[in-house]
Amino acid sequence: MTRQLIQTVALGLLAGGVYALMASGLTLIFGVMNIVNVAQGAFLILSALFTYELWTRLGLDPILSIAVTTPAMFLLGWVVYRLFVARIRHAPASMSVLLTFALAITLEGAMGLVWKNVYRSVTPRYFASSFQAGSLFFPRAQVFAFLTAIVVLAILYVLLTRTWTGRAIRASSANPQGAQLVGVSIGSVAAMTFAVGVATAGAGGSLLSILYTFFPASHYQWISRLLGIVVLGGMGSLPGAVIGALMLGVAETVTATYISIRWAVVVFYLVILVVLLIRPQGLMGVRLREDVAL
Amino acid sequence: MQRGGLKALVGLVALMLVAGACGKAKTSEQGQKSKKPLLIGASLPLTGDFSEPGSAAKQGYEVWRDMVNKAGGLLGRPVKLVIRDDASDQNTIVSDYNRLISQDKVDLLLGSFSSLLNIPASAVAERNQKVYICPACGSPDMFSRGFHFLFFAQPARAVHQADLFSEWVVSLPADQRPKTAAYPAQDDPFAAPVIDGIKEKLEAAGIKTVYAKVYPPDTTNLDPIASAIKSSGAQLVAQGSVFEDGVALVRSLIKVGYNPKTMFQTTAPSLGAQYANGVGSGNTEGIFYAVSWSPEADYPVNKDFVQNYIAKFGGQVSEIPEDAADGFAAAQVLQAAVKGVGSLDQKALADWIHSHTVNTILGPLSWDETGAPQQAFILAQWQGGKSQIVAPKAVATSAQIVFPKPNWQG
Amino acid sequence: MSAGRVNGLLRWALLLAALAVLVAFPLARKEDAYHQTVLFLIFLFAVMSGGWNIISGFTGYVSLGQSAFLGIGAYTVALVALQVHVSPLFLVPLGGLAAAASAAVLGAVVMRTRGHSFVIITIAFLFLMQTVALNWRSVTHGSNGITLPLPRWNSDLGNMPFYYVMLGLMVLSVALSAWIRRTKFGMGLIAIREDEDKAAVIGVRTSVYKVLAFVASAVLIGVAGGVYGYFLTFIDPRGMFDILMSVQIVLAALLGGRGTIWGPVLGAFLLVPMNEITNNYFGTSPGERLFVFGLLLGAVVLFLPRGVIPTIRGWIDRFREAKRPAPTPRPSASAAPRTAGPGAAPDLEEGAPLLEIDGLIKRFGGVVAVDQCSLFVRRGSITGLIGPNGSGKTTLFNLVSGMSRADRGTVRLDSRSIDRAPAWHRAYLGIGRTFQITRLFKQMSVLENVVAPLGRFAWAQLGADAVSGPEARRAQELLDFVGMLPLADQPAGQLSFGQQKLVELAQVLMLEPQLILLDEPAGGINPALIQRITDLIRELNQQGVTFVVVEHNMPLVLSLCDPILVLARGRCIAQGSAETIQGDRAVLDAYLGEGWSRVEERLEV
Repeated sequence: MTRQLIQTVALGLLAGGVYALMASGLTLIFGVMNIVNVAQGAFLILSALFTYELWTRLGLDPILSIAVTTPAMFLLGWVVYRLFVARIRHAPASMSVLLTFALAITLEGAMGLVWKNVYRSVTPRYFASSFQAGSLFFPRAQVFAFLTAIVVLAILYVLLTRTWTGRAIRASSANPQGAQLVGVSIGSVAAMTFAVGVATAGAGGSLLSILYTFFPASHYQWISRLLGIVVLGGMGSLPGAVIGALMLGVAETVTATYISIRWAVVVFYLVILVVLLIRPQGLMGVRLREDVAL
Repeated sequence: MQRGGLKALVGLVALMLVAGACGKAKTSEQGQKSKKPLLIGASLPLTGDFSEPGSAAKQGYEVWRDMVNKAGGLLGRPVKLVIRDDASDQNTIVSDYNRLISQDKVDLLLGSFSSLLNIPASAVAERNQKVYICPACGSPDMFSRGFHFLFFAQPARAVHQADLFSEWVVSLPADQRPKTAAYPAQDDPFAAPVIDGIKEKLEAAGIKTVYAKVYPPDTTNLDPIASAIKSSGAQLVAQGSVFEDGVALVRSLIKVGYNPKTMFQTTAPSLGAQYANGVGSGNTEGIFYAVSWSPEADYPVNKDFVQNYIAKFGGQVSEIPEDAADGFAAAQVLQAAVKGVGSLDQKALADWIHSHTVNTILGPLSWDETGAPQQAFILAQWQGGKSQIVAPKAVATSAQIVFPKPNWQG
Repeated sequence: MSAGRVNGLLRWALLLAALAVLVAFPLARKEDAYHQTVLFLIFLFAVMSGGWNIISGFTGYVSLGQSAFLGIGAYTVALVALQVHVSPLFLVPLGGLAAAASAAVLGAVVMRTRGHSFVIITIAFLFLMQTVALNWRSVTHGSNGITLPLPRWNSDLGNMPFYYVMLGLMVLSVALSAWIRRTKFGMGLIAIREDEDKAAVIGVRTSVYKVLAFVASAVLIGVAGGVYGYFLTFIDPRGMFDILMSVQIVLAALLGGRGTIWGPVLGAFLLVPMNEITNNYFGTSPGERLFVFGLLLGAVVLFLPRGVIPTIRGWIDRFREAKRPAPTPRPSASAAPRTAGPGAAPDLEEGAPLLEIDGLIKRFGGVVAVDQCSLFVRRGSITGLIGPNGSGKTTLFNLVSGMSRADRGTVRLDSRSIDRAPAWHRAYLGIGRTFQITRLFKQMSVLENVVAPLGRFAWAQLGADAVSGPEARRAQELLDFVGMLPLADQPAGQLSFGQQKLVELAQVLMLEPQLILLDEPAGGINPALIQRITDLIRELNQQGVTFVVVEHNMPLVLSLCDPILVLARGRCIAQGSAETIQGDRAVLDAYLGEGWSRVEERLEV
């Protein structure tokens, strides 16, 4: 009994680590620009498809391909921001969500056109084997992905705390006017943030490609997961996203093992509804402005 | 404030009705020449989620049309196919079939791919009292509506697809027969019912179910399932798989080091080299599967179909999609009925099909009063790195059956 | 005006003619099953889009999950029909009931959230419903779906019953939208869309309104779901909880004009045929349909956010009105209308504290905006509230009016604590407030703005006409009082800043408040107007209205206000008459910095 519990929790944490990387971009973008980037799931799948191409054509290991996909997605994020998202930065929240949603389905359509609606996954040699620790097993792919996610998140953390750009991003998130007053160009910071957010989807997508099967319409289930994580952790809080991801990763595997695999995904939807009902700012979100009606 | 909106609206409605009237006028110029082509209409998912099998079904229809026209057509008239694309969307397929019937005025209908599309489409056909033969509509609820004009052109519904396998298991002497069974299945309307069918038959024969779980379609990691099967000690494993999950379960079973006495999988093992490469060709030995069609089966016209398909579309024999063959067979049934009745009277055609057996490239097909077929799928098994048909005896390519399943090669 | 009457009659005639054509169509063309099907789908989309329009167009809460209600309606009707063996068409109201009930339950979450959270909720709800339908196999048959028997009516009737029922639903949907738009309920929804906090402050009970709007948006979609499921004879999770359908109805509403009554119908008439035409004549490859939808939605959101039709009409209107000059405000010759509420009768305990603030604390992250603030405002006074920037004046106003909740401390009105009262309740209790930067509902006319405030909440009131006779008259009186009557029909967003300030004042007066909080009434307007406003304040004060005025215009404050309270760093540091304040050292320090008073001392010597 306990062995199974430990095994379940361990698998959940491994999954949660990767979820954390995927969700970091979403929460970052919201924190600075107050925009829910519903297209984050589509960017994940796009990156997964890039990784697939690199692997089938060049034999490039998917974890190593992060070095390629992350900058590529960064560039894409920057371009998308400048061309489309910048225009609606000052529009009400509802419009920005519609725009990012339009972006998501446009991406889904484009991916379907190029790659067809076929289930794919990337299967490097280690994908089918596991590390053994006593009677517990840890699938190699999951472990490598988890470690990679930690490394990338650490790099992100350093970026946000030690570089000027990072501090500018955090300042803009906390207080846009104040940031402007100290010389931060909000427009460029927003572009930068969006690009960084999409870049994390680049890294996350490469990991996704090994761990899960995907096809263009998979982005819906991914954005649902990410929204659940970000709502639980508190929208705009990076540490919140990490904690939320770990918690939900475990909740998902526990549900899958003890209740039913089929109902595991419901955990994310329920979390969204319950958290927004009881504690809308999530675990670590700070309510600087009253965004809940009395 | 709403003035402009209302006027624009009225204008639009008027425009549409005029356009509609024009559209109708075009097709009402009908001559009475006897060499006028025979129009057969169908809406297929050429785009969207079901585009792969949908396109394959279209190929099957086209090969059939070419062969029929080469032999002089149907009722002496050349056959012309009117195929629409429903984009795997339910609303579109309903309006497509309405359009085929009332606008294009086709003489005969052929069905679409996937029960999800065929169920609403067949309702349209039934309302209009037109024969509807579908190449892929094996879902359990397809035949519970008391339709008279609906027919499924495959040997068996999903639940009965694996009957020959179940029968073989039950026919084993009691000391060799597996005592316990595991039934992992993907939550897929085509895979899961097959396993339900096996489970029902084997439980009735006293084989204990020690594992039965359905997993979501995107499950890649089947290690927990393999581990659970190992814990259960099941001697028979019957998996409702699509493709990736079939390969994954084999690899997971190897990983946890468990070899059942016998194993059945849906779909995955029928995919030839793809499957063998995925699991490792040494690991395929003894795995059973069921198919509606095999290029090796010695049924009438089958060799011609294979030849014509390769000539038209190229590729290897082993790559001919099963769905194309199913489409061809559906058209064959229609052809046989028209020939048998000698006219296009839909009611007569329906009655004829209900009371006759039709020889197709899938074997002989006959139907009950709900339109469900009453035969069984071909049972195949991997032997020596090749797929062999082991049942029914009439078309078997191998006289022996590998049992018990040899250990994994790793 | 007779031109208006003629126009009105013309509209009705057009409407009836269009309806007659649609009703007659299937009778005239019985064989044409195809076009009947297309029209059926158009009607379906119009109903769904119309529902979306109520919560997203009128109320401004964008929902991406409305098709969840379609599925809920379809499953409910199908399951009941299979049990009781009654034709599903008779049971479709149950679908509406199920949809309304689920919207009401979800409303508990909806009530407390704002824009971006709401969208997330609707997406989560849609996927949750789909997953439940997929997995609750014992009831819903999972991915196999539920099949319904064919309709049992004479096959000569073809699809006509479906056609007519859906046509009827579309008519109902338009009627519902039109009715809502005309009522106080609708006006409240639009106020919420334009500025939710402001709506609360003028007495709109936002939480209830939002839930009602959500329920109203769901009910007809649920009924339509019952019909649609029967039409297809097949109900499955994939088809019934389809996010793509949600996107299409959003697109339809945006094309036709979001927030208008006919927009959703027009959008449906555009979108569905467009679908058919591209499908039949162009043939799509995988993903192309999605790609086109995405681009279209993106393009409309970026370039034509109000919708294609309203934007075009806007261009036409603006072109026409470019030459007309804006009228100037004239002071009113008539006496000031009754403005003071019963609690503010001049002789009632004049001088006793009306507003008491006790130990109020409000923090934003690390900043303490209001720090142990305690003060009181005497009934019948015009109390000034001054202090350097950042001293917490606006925050204090927010706390008193209910737009913010304090971390600690109490606020008492008329000796009763109002800490637990939400903003709209405080409006009912007699607190009115204007804003530093005016917050009028820009899309509404000036008159509608003034009529919008509500003095109480009553279910019956929701259905009342938005602008009724007595209210309109009173609003016109108030507008006349502030000199804005000639502008009554202009959209409020077109007024100048000073004009907006006067309208906002009239708006506040509508509720007959006993206490009015004025946030920089003289900020940014010309001296003549300042004088006008000062006169108005004095006149109202004579009728018994208590004022608290935040101002930076010192001459104005010194001449108008007595007493004057000084706020610095979140707390009250001085209070008294104008002379007292001017000489207070603490006040000078706060304004000018600590070195000043020492400099002054040296200068005096």
